[in-house]
Amino acid sequence: MIVINNSGLRRVLRITVPFVIIPLTVFLGTFIVPQKSYLFVSFAVTVMALILFISGFDRKKTGSRRLVISSVMTALCIIGRFIPVFKPITALTVITGIHIGGESGFLVGALAALISNFFSGQGPWTPFQMLAWGLIGLFAGLLSPFLKRSRWIIVAYGTVTGMIFSLIMDVWTVLWGGGFSAELYLAAVVAAIPHTVVYSLSNMIFLIILSKPFGEKLERIKLKYGV
Amino acid sequence: MRTFKDSNPIAVTLYFLFVTGITMFLFDPILNGISFLGALIFSLVCGDGRDNKKHLLCLVLFVATALINPLVSHNGVTVLFFINDNPITLESLLYGCSNAFMLVSVLYWFSCFSCLMDSDKLLYVFGSFSPKAALVFSMALRYIPLFGDRSKKIRATQKTMGLYKDGNILDMIRGRVREFSIMTTWALEKGIITADSMSARGYGQGRRTRFTNFRFYLCDVILLILSSVLAVFVIMSAVKHDFVFYPAIVAPKMSLISVIGYVSYGVLVLIPTINEWKEEIRWRYLRSKI
Repeated sequence: MIVINNSGLRRVLRITVPFVIIPLTVFLGTFIVPQKSYLFVSFAVTVMALILFISGFDRKKTGSRRLVISSVMTALCIIGRFIPVFKPITALTVITGIHIGGESGFLVGALAALISNFFSGQGPWTPFQMLAWGLIGLFAGLLSPFLKRSRWIIVAYGTVTGMIFSLIMDVWTVLWGGGFSAELYLAAVVAAIPHTVVYSLSNMIFLIILSKPFGEKLERIKLKYGV
Repeated sequence: MRTFKDSNPIAVTLYFLFVTGITMFLFDPILNGISFLGALIFSLVCGDGRDNKKHLLCLVLFVATALINPLVSHNGVTVLFFINDNPITLESLLYGCSNAFMLVSVLYWFSCFSCLMDSDKLLYVFGSFSPKAALVFSMALRYIPLFGDRSKKIRATQKTMGLYKDGNILDMIRGRVREFSIMTTWALEKGIITADSMSARGYGQGRRTRFTNFRFYLCDVILLILSSVLAVFVIMSAVKHDFVFYPAIVAPKMSLISVIGYVSYGVLVLIPTINEWKEEIRWRYLRSKI
């Protein structure tokens, strides 16, 4: 509120950040600065995209009921992260995105990543996780008419996005190691196979178990109170 | 100047962005070393320095990162020895070490950051660009302990109703699922009431105020200006020279500009520590000696 109070300035920022500043960062980082700075470029672009998404949502009018439901779902995601080995964050984010809307899906995914990292360790990976989980929720919301057709489509969506999430996080692990090379990436992917398998499996299991009862609960709330 | 912990959260956040950004952005082993030393000293000063588990984790990560690079990449001209006919070179070992320093120092900076910022301050920084996300954030934080209490209540009720058998795992799992389902419905229904109560009290009408008021004092402005000026110095000097690892290590010649860059990064990195020490000395000095 104190940072961007002026609506004209806000409009300028909304146009310049995606079309000027982000491409400029990528350009400067890759061509002008002599050192290898893929890491910084990816970090900066991720943070800017997050800020853009979240402040973009702020413009829209959302009822307080929808906000409260989003925060309830976020809290459930975080509690679920205390379950050993299997984590339901992706499953709950996808369910929220489908039934409450893409905007809420993004908020739930991003904030669940942020808050649960307070318990399991905050680090430079936080913005990447926030953006990845947020986008999973956002796309679930955009695709919701298609996804609502069958439970198995939802399960497939959750599993595939979970795998993509793991593969992208592996790219990031390799960037951390300094420079990007195909061998290192392959090594990282192979090393992460047990993790990826457990992660995809837990997405699948939780979506199979939770998608129907949670869908019913959320639809009932929507019908009863007209959210 | 107040202690670093009491400074305005936006100034503190920007300071950490500068320091970690320089460490990640400018690939220079000397800068990485300075950053690592600064982060280590500050983490010892700011209070979580006795967390041995963290130091051990950082050490393991450091060794792993430093050793993986020479095993995978065989660039470089100075061959140290061979493993399975693969040359292990000095250059790639040093490259790995430099990367490991970067990784570990960023981890230390992040742990210092989360040690300085509590949820209230984070909410302030967060709320400055999105009040809505900040509201969801704070409500979710409040719900976590609340849900714990509620599920205890539900479990007690279910036990009283005689719905659990002793020593039956399947029954226990079924019971937990039922508990979770009841808690979710309860939370959603209560949430609607909370939302209605919020609207009744005027949520969304006019500006939102905060519980804690953080103001920009003169010293916060000084911190902000000082850290941005130093960061600009460091970046200006570092862009001028390039540290080459492959095929052979070529260190850039020390010039006045590069020395200025390193010294200003050293000062930047030590700002919080010096501040903390200064406050400590003042506290000792002002303490009554009766």
